[in-house]
Amino acid sequence: MFKNYIKIAWRSLFKNKGFTLLNIVGLSIAFGVAILLSMVSLFELSYDNFHEHVDDVYKIYQIKQSPDGAEASQAYAIPFAPALKEDVSGIKKISRYLDDEVLLFYQDKELAIDINWVDPDFFTMFSFPILEGNTETPLKKGNSIVITQKMATVIFDSNDVIGKTVNFLINGKKQPFTITGLAKDIPANSSIEFDVVANFINNPRYEKLKNRWDYSNHEVYIQLEKGLQASQFEKSTRAFTNIHFKDNIEDRKRDGALPDQNGQYVQLHLLPIKDLYFTRYQNGSAIVSKALPYIVLGIALVLLFIACINFMNMSIAKSTARLQEIGMRKSLGAAKKHIFFQFWGESVLIFLVTLLFGILLSIFCLDTFKSLFNTEASFNNTVSLGTCIGFVLVFMMVTLVAGGYPAVLLSKLGTLQALKGKVQVNGRNKVRDILMIVQFAIVILLISGTFVLRGQLQYMKNKDLGFNKEQVISLPLNGKRDSYQVVRLLKEELKGNPNVVSITASNNNLGKGKDGNLSTSVLGFDYKNRNVGTHMLVVDHDYLETLDIPLLSGRSFDRNLIADSTSVVINEAMARELREEDPIGKQIEVMGNSKHTIIGIMKDYNFRDLNRTIEPMTLFMANQEQLAYTYIKIAPSAISQTFDSIQDAWQKLEPNATFLGSFLDDNIERTLKKEKTMTTISTSGATIAIILSCIGLLAISLLVVNQRTKEIGVRKIIGASTLSLLVLLAKDFIKLVIIAFVIIVPIAWGYSNQWLQEYPYRMELSIWFFVSAGVLALSIALLTISFGTIKAVLQNPIKSLRTE
Amino acid sequence: MLLQLKNISKWVHSGGQKVFLLKDINFWVNEGDFISIMGPSGSGKSTLLNIIGMLDDFNEGEYTFLDEKVHSLKEKHRANLYKEYIGFVFQAYHLIDELTVKENLEMPLLYKKHNASERKSLVADMLDRFNIVGKKDLFPSQLSGGQQQLVGVARALIASPKLILADEPTGNLNSKQGEEIMEIFTQLNKEGVTIIQVTHSEKNMAYGSRVINLLDGKIE
Repeated sequence: MFKNYIKIAWRSLFKNKGFTLLNIVGLSIAFGVAILLSMVSLFELSYDNFHEHVDDVYKIYQIKQSPDGAEASQAYAIPFAPALKEDVSGIKKISRYLDDEVLLFYQDKELAIDINWVDPDFFTMFSFPILEGNTETPLKKGNSIVITQKMATVIFDSNDVIGKTVNFLINGKKQPFTITGLAKDIPANSSIEFDVVANFINNPRYEKLKNRWDYSNHEVYIQLEKGLQASQFEKSTRAFTNIHFKDNIEDRKRDGALPDQNGQYVQLHLLPIKDLYFTRYQNGSAIVSKALPYIVLGIALVLLFIACINFMNMSIAKSTARLQEIGMRKSLGAAKKHIFFQFWGESVLIFLVTLLFGILLSIFCLDTFKSLFNTEASFNNTVSLGTCIGFVLVFMMVTLVAGGYPAVLLSKLGTLQALKGKVQVNGRNKVRDILMIVQFAIVILLISGTFVLRGQLQYMKNKDLGFNKEQVISLPLNGKRDSYQVVRLLKEELKGNPNVVSITASNNNLGKGKDGNLSTSVLGFDYKNRNVGTHMLVVDHDYLETLDIPLLSGRSFDRNLIADSTSVVINEAMARELREEDPIGKQIEVMGNSKHTIIGIMKDYNFRDLNRTIEPMTLFMANQEQLAYTYIKIAPSAISQTFDSIQDAWQKLEPNATFLGSFLDDNIERTLKKEKTMTTISTSGATIAIILSCIGLLAISLLVVNQRTKEIGVRKIIGASTLSLLVLLAKDFIKLVIIAFVIIVPIAWGYSNQWLQEYPYRMELSIWFFVSAGVLALSIALLTISFGTIKAVLQNPIKSLRTE
Repeated sequence: MLLQLKNISKWVHSGGQKVFLLKDINFWVNEGDFISIMGPSGSGKSTLLNIIGMLDDFNEGEYTFLDEKVHSLKEKHRANLYKEYIGFVFQAYHLIDELTVKENLEMPLLYKKHNASERKSLVADMLDRFNIVGKKDLFPSQLSGGQQQLVGVARALIASPKLILADEPTGNLNSKQGEEIMEIFTQLNKEGVTIIQVTHSEKNMAYGSRVINLLDGKIE
């Protein structure tokens, strides 16, 4: 029996080569893409879940009340963590975590590396396995470090590293550190990443700041005692914060901040580490949003759904050709279940084959996909027993519904009806129409989503940020020379080059450079008995001139005035923050010791990502902070030569450091990674959805044309024109597209609007995004339908009538 | 007695009125009969045959097949009954295009759960008996009409039914092919198989032992 089914399935599939091909292509693409997309989604959702104590480990963040509302922060002073552990019960382990950079020396190698300063508990809280060396507490002693396998290869070209010593440049002196542990490389789905970790007490600022509560620079992670609720713990920290943040709280009260509902001005909160990757801090609260991975998963399911709709529509439409067979089988004694299993089995067969193709497709496309979507997801880190079971369940569901529904319809037919071959199953066309409407609604939704995303991305790329991003190169100062010295030498080196317009430097980058760093320093101080906050930037001369940031009043830094070393330039937002009509000449007192005179006000410019409004900014010229980036403005001609000559000049000055110069507009683009990824996802989702829908539409239109061949012939003989016949055939489908459009546009509009609200700088949402998506869907539909219909309509009517 | 129809009526509603397809049909069939149902187009011949074959329902009356009351049987039992005892032959052959001659013959056996060796020998017997061994691996589209109907008859016979129902078995055939099929029916009838055929042709009628004439759903 089974063999018979396989045989007949194979032969009837082969007989309808065209449709089988369309079905297989569509389903294979859908399966392949669905596998890849769900892989990304599962990978993203698996972030930070690999830690053994995942349920008990938290990051501490604090919400502070200020006159402008609540602010969230995650930076702590050095004595905070030890004091917290001492004073508040329930903490099993605690570790500070400071992100830093350090220059490493080993033999004649000199590397600028990222280093993380942590407490010894770090390796027992988090599951980063140590392969060799002290596997439990490798950082117990000072001056010991743990490095990853990857880093071991970079430094030593081998994994045999335990006990070896390297030197770090700390506070201008070389200090030896011994490697006590070799850590397994960090999994791709970890938000905590490190190459080298060292004991917190060895960090360069530790000695200077170890008793200061007013200088915050690192994050803190804790592991609670088993069974202790986070909310319970948060409550029990209130007394602690009220004591240790006393001065801070007093200032807040004075400035007019209102306490939260528990009467707290500063409240510690715990963020579960499994939410770490999905959290952003906004308006004084931590917002955990897993929307993106779920949207990706949703797109995967939607694509699968479209392919299934196609499959169902095609199987039902095609089955008319097999009605006689069904009737015959029934008259020979086949029961309902026989018919059901036969047709369902055929579907399962197709599904199995396409699943296989889909898997092959996804393996084949994995690398392209990974670079396109900027993801580390791979089969290794997503395939597990759970995902396999889930996958099999989804697959069974798909075959049961998409294969089962037509099979049920067919098995329910009466024997005589089937034998006569003229069956109109009740409501069948209604089901088909609804499925097609859903399909087109999804397509229009994805297309308009893509348009909106692209529009916003384009808007952000082209937005005037308030500084010159086209002609300025930013270059990280990652060598071992003193930063002021290297900037001076670089200026001299490039003096003769007519294409270099001007050079300046600062301690932070604009956008995200090739070194991948993105940071900002924030400063709070009292001004006229009020606490004011500002971002701070240490700059070199010509900063405003090089970046073309316009001055509104006052003047820029003047290298001929020695007094300017303590002058500051502020932006408009800062002027507002100070509440001064004319801030020029006013003095601000920072860190309690130095007075700075405001000499100029510059126009606001977007020094951070575009999903933030411009905050107060103060430019300092103080010399105690090192510079980190130099900016070089070049002439618009001979750009690549100039770029090369800058690289040469840099290599001459710092032969051991890598040249990481990049144009500012590239840096800005790098900060738009999330938007770009989303655009890629939705563009490819929309494209695949269009392809799949076209396949379905093509098949259905061919079948409909087939069924109406006689009608077309008769109408033609009576005198219908070609055009009127085309309209007749296309009309039904076009109606469906229009209904889909009307249903989906309000939904698409709502979601787009909601998404755009996240951006302070956003384009105007126009109805044309949606109309053009609808028109695009409609024209693609028309084009697809015309494939089959034009041929049928042009055919000699005698020929089509003869087939009857 | 093989089967008996008592006061069978079947109607449809058309424009609010009952239109009788069959009205008050009474007849019986003994084992070994060869009955021809005659009548003009639309007189209800095929409907009657379908009711006898349990492929169609009726609205009124009683139908007894081998002492089973068909009208009160459940669908499943009815299917078992006709699967067991009835073979069908159609005007349009209704062979399955995707199956070869051999596989078409094998199909009824699959639904009766015969095992593989049984099926093989039964199919071989049939191929032998109808002289179509050489055609066993051909598809229906590769055969002439007469050959296809031969396969159709063979398929109807393979499960050794008591009754063969033939709906215009020669309607699509030329006269020579038609004669061949009718000869086979006569032969089968001699071997004890009951045959009921629907036909238009006087010539075919002559092969039968009894004639039922239908006009407008009534026996004349």
